[in-house]
Amino acid sequence: MTASFPKAQVVVYPGSNCDRDALWALRYVGFDAEFVDIRSHIGSDVNLLVLPGGFSYGDYLRVGAVAAREPISSEIRDFMSRGGLIIGICNGFQILIEMGILPGALLQNSTGKFICKIVELEVVDNETPFTRYFERGEKIHLPIAHGFGRYVKTNGLVNSQDNVIFRYAQDVNGADELIAGISNENKNVLGLMPHPERAIEKLIGSDDGLRVFLSAFNYIKTSSENMLQKTKVGVA
Amino acid sequence: MKYIDILERKLGRKVTKAEIEAFTVMWSEHCGYSHTKGYIRQLPRVGFGGNAGIVPLDDYHFIAFKVESHNHPSAIEPFNGAATGVGGIIRDILAMGARPTAILDSLHMDKVTEGIIDGISDYGNSIGVPTVGGELRISDYYKYNPLVNVMAVGVGRNEHLIPSTAQKPGQVIVIFGGATGRDGIHGASFASEDLTGEKATKLSIQVGDPFAEKMLIEAFLEMVEEGLVEGAQDLGAGGVLSATSELVAKANLGAIVHLDRMPLREPDMNPVEILISESQERMAVVTSVEKANRVIEIARRYLLFADIVVEVTETGRYVAKYNDGTVIDVPAKLLEESPEERTYGYRPVEMPKFNWIKFKNVDAHGVFERYDYMVGTDTVVRPGYGPAVIRVKSSSGYSLVIHSRADLGLQEPYWAAYITLLECVRKTLSVGARPLAITDGINYADPDVQPEGLAAQMKGLKDACEFANVPVASGNASLYNTYKGNGIPPTLVIGMIGKLENLNVPRPRKSAIYAIGFKDFKLERERLLWNEIERIAKAGYFIVSMHDFSTMSTLKQELQKIGLDMKVKSPKCEPVHQLIMVFGDVDTKLPKELIGYCN
Repeated sequence: MTASFPKAQVVVYPGSNCDRDALWALRYVGFDAEFVDIRSHIGSDVNLLVLPGGFSYGDYLRVGAVAAREPISSEIRDFMSRGGLIIGICNGFQILIEMGILPGALLQNSTGKFICKIVELEVVDNETPFTRYFERGEKIHLPIAHGFGRYVKTNGLVNSQDNVIFRYAQDVNGADELIAGISNENKNVLGLMPHPERAIEKLIGSDDGLRVFLSAFNYIKTSSENMLQKTKVGVA
Repeated sequence: MKYIDILERKLGRKVTKAEIEAFTVMWSEHCGYSHTKGYIRQLPRVGFGGNAGIVPLDDYHFIAFKVESHNHPSAIEPFNGAATGVGGIIRDILAMGARPTAILDSLHMDKVTEGIIDGISDYGNSIGVPTVGGELRISDYYKYNPLVNVMAVGVGRNEHLIPSTAQKPGQVIVIFGGATGRDGIHGASFASEDLTGEKATKLSIQVGDPFAEKMLIEAFLEMVEEGLVEGAQDLGAGGVLSATSELVAKANLGAIVHLDRMPLREPDMNPVEILISESQERMAVVTSVEKANRVIEIARRYLLFADIVVEVTETGRYVAKYNDGTVIDVPAKLLEESPEERTYGYRPVEMPKFNWIKFKNVDAHGVFERYDYMVGTDTVVRPGYGPAVIRVKSSSGYSLVIHSRADLGLQEPYWAAYITLLECVRKTLSVGARPLAITDGINYADPDVQPEGLAAQMKGLKDACEFANVPVASGNASLYNTYKGNGIPPTLVIGMIGKLENLNVPRPRKSAIYAIGFKDFKLERERLLWNEIERIAKAGYFIVSMHDFSTMSTLKQELQKIGLDMKVKSPKCEPVHQLIMVFGDVDTKLPKELIGYCN
């Protein structure tokens, strides 16, 4: 019996605009990947969910606020409780925060302006399903492109020692403690402002983002193989 | 003769009030190209005549591209003026059946106007189309009349190429997108006169809704994918009137337009206002009666309004109705046949000795880092280096350049236009691409006061295109860039598309830096220079082709970001020269001088 490829879905909100880039990146590393519309359902065999970047509902209200209140949100919560992996990138991160899945808030950059550039990051925690292929403390380069990316901690909701996954090497948007990406307590949800899906090929500037997806791919592969082993032992 | 007299003679009767409104729009300079169409006809052309220019990229894909100005609106209301400039040109590309893949902007202003930058940034970033390049020219000549020229590019599959016409009676036209309001009424006429004219009010400015535009892009591409779209036109200047009359007039057909079916943002609009409103984020789709419901269904799923507004007829008459009343009833062709102003001949003179007229040097990072230039993950060469290079995931790639030489235009428009095109060719070759075609953005002052300058500029463009063997695929003309009678320098903006066979684009590296070529200009040497640029790029050396080497702060900073420190003594040269900068010691027949190092 051969194990099938890990399966991923990209949630397309009205106004998402990095959905196609995320799909390309997922397929690039070997995921069996597809889009899921907000009126549709998360597949029962899905291992990884990506909430992509963009401007859901134009971000005319507080960023991510409208998208977080879509009916699909309850499916996303169930998926998370079952231990499924979720990556929220940029607007996807903002949506996860608005849903209350991740703590804190994302406010307008301290410059008041949209910033698009490649920045240096430090990998703070390599013991998550998304960062296994990095060294702790490793410096990597990923693009940022956001107007509302200043992460702020809210009343003790984030214990930054445990939850911070990526930090900016220098201040770019005024974020508390240079926080660029965080996880939930169970470490199966990653939210980050930088765009790993835009850094999977040297040709377009950097391939440091590739390992975010490879880590998740490998994590899913090994855990499903372990499950398979256990099942076999059980049968024997 | 006054246009109203021409109109009455052609109609054979007195015009009605509604017809005056309609023809004021359709025969405005902005819609009708009265002063420029005679010149445009003389240009060598390719893939011309649709909403945007079309050139083949490979066996399966075409590129659609066009530059458009939004100068007048940006002068009065910088944010919305610039934002809707982006939105409008994006829909032109979309209407051809192509997914918009890149935006470039050419900005001429007296200082970095925050509203204009914010407008482009806010709109372009939201719709997920990367702004990959541009030019920023700062000079007091543009104090009252800033120039905002936006070029958009898209890539489509050959089987999805959509005609910009209806084909037969019995077809219907669905209009879908945002709701219609009073914004932009007489925007086309306002953009065709001096900024102190009576139409220069904020009511003439369109208001942008980038979320609606993003929904419109995805909805339209889904319709194209499903084979529902038989013809298309975006609603820009002239609104419903311009879009629907063009669709039928080009095919010698007629139309019955039901204005009462248009979804309104302001319910008390009168029929003529509905007809000519320039509300943004709307498209007209020609389809069959059977497919129309599916078109409407898709639009609504993308949270947009949609309805069957037009029936295509064989009568050749354009009839706009509101409930049972007729608003206008005129020959459709007549709306397109704006009177043509005379063109002037121009006999080129020898190139004068140009003086340096320097525009202010600003580091462009403060501008382009506010644009998302990476979304789409196809930006191979990003802003800061000069030409942009974009890949096509299932094919190779293409280069994009936008460039102008208003400093020369002030002194001699013929050679200014000529040199602008030659410099575009050099820039395209420098990244290893081969020029495919151009789009031209004519920005001019008052053609009635200074007709010769326009003639000289257009002749310069024509002669240069013929010299370089590069055709024109699309273009735009913005005239009457004047304030209290004082005008801008003749500013011809050229956008050039080049094709790359592979993506081995030369990259900067640690090396000695040489100036190669000539410090002055002789036309007979230009091909020699091109051959050398092509050969050096192919050999993998990074080339910088600029008109003014004294202002390299943007490049220097860009190199710093990838850990390179450029130290050069800027080569001294004439305002028009044949000099390039090459990173690395390459053999060449041309004069070569060591000018610095990159460490």
